[in-house]
Amino acid sequence: MARIGFLVNPVAGLGGRVGLKGTDGVADEAVRRGATPVAPAKAAEMLRALAAKPQARLLTWLTCSGPMGEDALNAAGLGHDVVYRCQPPTTEEDTRKACRAFLGRGVDLIVFVGGDGTARDIASIVGSVVPIVGVPSGVKMHSAVFGLHPESVAAILADFVGGHTATVDAEILDLDEDKYREGEWVVRLYATAKTLHEPTLIQTGKLMFEAATEEDARDGIAEYLLEEMDQAPDTLYLLGPGGTLHRVKQRFGAGGTLLGIDAAKGKTLVAADLDEAAILRLLDAHPVAKLVLSPIGAQGFILGRGNLELSPAVLRRIGLRNVVVVATPDKLRHTPDLRVDTGDLELDREFAQKEYLFVVQGYREMKVHPIRG
Amino acid sequence: MEKRRPTAWMREEYEKLVAADLDWKLRVLQGPSAPRSIVDGRSVIMLCSNNYLNLSNHARIKDAAKRAVDTHGAGSGSVRPIAGNMNLHEELERRIARFKRREAALFYVSGFAGNAGLIPQLVGEGDAIFTDELNHGSIIDGVRLTKAFRFIYRHNDAADLERALKEADPKFTKLLIVSDGVFSMDGDIAPVDQIAKLGEEYGAMVFIDDAHGEGVLGDGGRGVASHFHVEEKIHVELGTFSKALGVVGGYVAGSNDLRNYALNKSRTWLLSGSHPPAVTAACIAAIDVLETEPWHVERLWENTRYYKKELVSLGFDVGNSATPITPVMCGEASVAKRLSERLFDLGVFALPIVFPMVARDKARIRTIMNAGLSREDLDEALNAFERAGKAVGLLK
Ligand SMILES: Cc1ncc(COP(=O)(O)O)c(C=O)c1O
Repeated sequence: MARIGFLVNPVAGLGGRVGLKGTDGVADEAVRRGATPVAPAKAAEMLRALAAKPQARLLTWLTCSGPMGEDALNAAGLGHDVVYRCQPPTTEEDTRKACRAFLGRGVDLIVFVGGDGTARDIASIVGSVVPIVGVPSGVKMHSAVFGLHPESVAAILADFVGGHTATVDAEILDLDEDKYREGEWVVRLYATAKTLHEPTLIQTGKLMFEAATEEDARDGIAEYLLEEMDQAPDTLYLLGPGGTLHRVKQRFGAGGTLLGIDAAKGKTLVAADLDEAAILRLLDAHPVAKLVLSPIGAQGFILGRGNLELSPAVLRRIGLRNVVVVATPDKLRHTPDLRVDTGDLELDREFAQKEYLFVVQGYREMKVHPIRG
Repeated sequence: MEKRRPTAWMREEYEKLVAADLDWKLRVLQGPSAPRSIVDGRSVIMLCSNNYLNLSNHARIKDAAKRAVDTHGAGSGSVRPIAGNMNLHEELERRIARFKRREAALFYVSGFAGNAGLIPQLVGEGDAIFTDELNHGSIIDGVRLTKAFRFIYRHNDAADLERALKEADPKFTKLLIVSDGVFSMDGDIAPVDQIAKLGEEYGAMVFIDDAHGEGVLGDGGRGVASHFHVEEKIHVELGTFSKALGVVGGYVAGSNDLRNYALNKSRTWLLSGSHPPAVTAACIAAIDVLETEPWHVERLWENTRYYKKELVSLGFDVGNSATPITPVMCGEASVAKRLSERLFDLGVFALPIVFPMVARDKARIRTIMNAGLSREDLDEALNAFERAGKAVGLLK
């Protein structure tokens, strides 16, 4: 039996319909503008699809009272334990407290209904301790923990019971909502969490070959980049955020960051967590530089999500042909297109005109992948 | 400190596979692999062997194996380079070369050993390999043994291959393109004509693994290169005797230079005992049969056309296959599994292929046509498909 912590953020998605671009901190305003909740319907849809599968019997549910989970499970006829009681109207604090209760009960997985804000609140408590999977129901869903549809979450859960899923790192991204309401689009990388991954691909199973694990693939990428650095000791390497590149940064010993942009030269770390000004200063001192990026979040952005420090000025200095993209084969399979949003339309167009980029997906292993603006 | 239990992990790993239903459950053939076989005590119509031409039961081939035991013994006594190189091995290689209309051939222990042993000797540091994302596992293992850069192109997508070639061209010394000729899951054929053309344009070596095309495609079953009339542009044709030719053993065919180089360099060839006389003589006889009895390949295609047409008119979806490999699409895994079980009850042996071997909504039964099936056998199998298909709700 697998123990699932199930949490609905009843106000997720409220802001979207009434033009608020998000609901964090403005749920009251949304209701005043006539918003109706979306999350309960999404929760019901997922649970209905799941209840129809035989694997549903092998799950035990821990949840929160009323609109935060209990109501949806009741409606789907699924037995459960309420481990956290909330007082509507609910807030982020309820989400966090519910997660602490789930952790206290040793859940194997947390399934939530919400958006990026909810994912962030959950990740702030559970970190990498248990994987999380989101039923998409927010206004923003950049984070890489969401199923495509409520039914796909049900399918992932059924696979989880059967032991057919792998646990992988996922970025938790969110729009800076205050900036956004002022008209500025700033998506930050807030954390990495664990999520379930269904290797939907083709022919990796027992008949053909065992696909290398995510970890092996990251090691292979790291090995390759270190070899490149070794061969070009004067080149400055700027390494973007995210779990894939963190593996490279860890090879330098202490000091590399998971969420920031770090710089290395000849296999040693020269600076960490750089802002735009610091990057430009480094570029002044280094005529040859490469920028290594991996797609961040669910939509495959290599620029413009979680790495705003890489401004158009920085990119122009480095030059498009010195941008190296890395991603594990699994990540690439779930990223139909690479995307950029540099904040400079001309630059975006230059990327889009390439149509394809070479992505490093293992040790000396490349794949051609489409890119669009 | 607790004493280490050095092999306890084996059971743990195995139990994990069982829990995930990913372990192989082996079925047992009691007797020959034939159009009608005894499997787990039941007589069934065999729809999942690779014995396309039913040559594993051919009288001439069986006789050749028996005679070779009398004249040459049960085993070869050594590896080929030391003392295990018999006149039978040399004769077989001449016969393969003649059949394939190439200068020379080299016989390996298996097709797997050919891929894993030769690919890493063709390229290395400073070189690049271009490989289809769905290539067979033995190619993948061969590729992993080299220091060459690997460019993985989209399945059967020559445009993607060209993008990779273009990007790589100036930076590398040798270029090698590797593809299956026929892909064993879907039965689709690689665009070998376009691959050959790109090879020519970019000065790349072209290596085609034709395990499922030998004895099936091309003039008299000479394979995918013959099918596209591009033999001279394929530098390495890899084949196997384990499928349509009904025996076992792999080979590569190409130039004299290829053979001379490969036999001095392939570790799987140099360091593994050579085939026993019975196997080697049976392989020679299999080529005899292909060269003198064209009706086996003709029957295979007649059966394939009839079987596919009837499956489609019953209402089944048979995917994109262009070869005797015929997937019967089922959608969900549970449907494919039930269909396979019902078929077995009705006397038809065909295994389901499900997630994670294929995409989640592409579960299927993979059937493989056979030249030895009679029209009555086919009608019986189709009848079983109709009944089982209705029973599991795939047909109205
Ligand atoms: C495409 C392909 N290549 C190579 C092989 C290996 O051939 P062999 O059985 O001779 O090792 C197989 C199947 O086994 C195959 O399907």
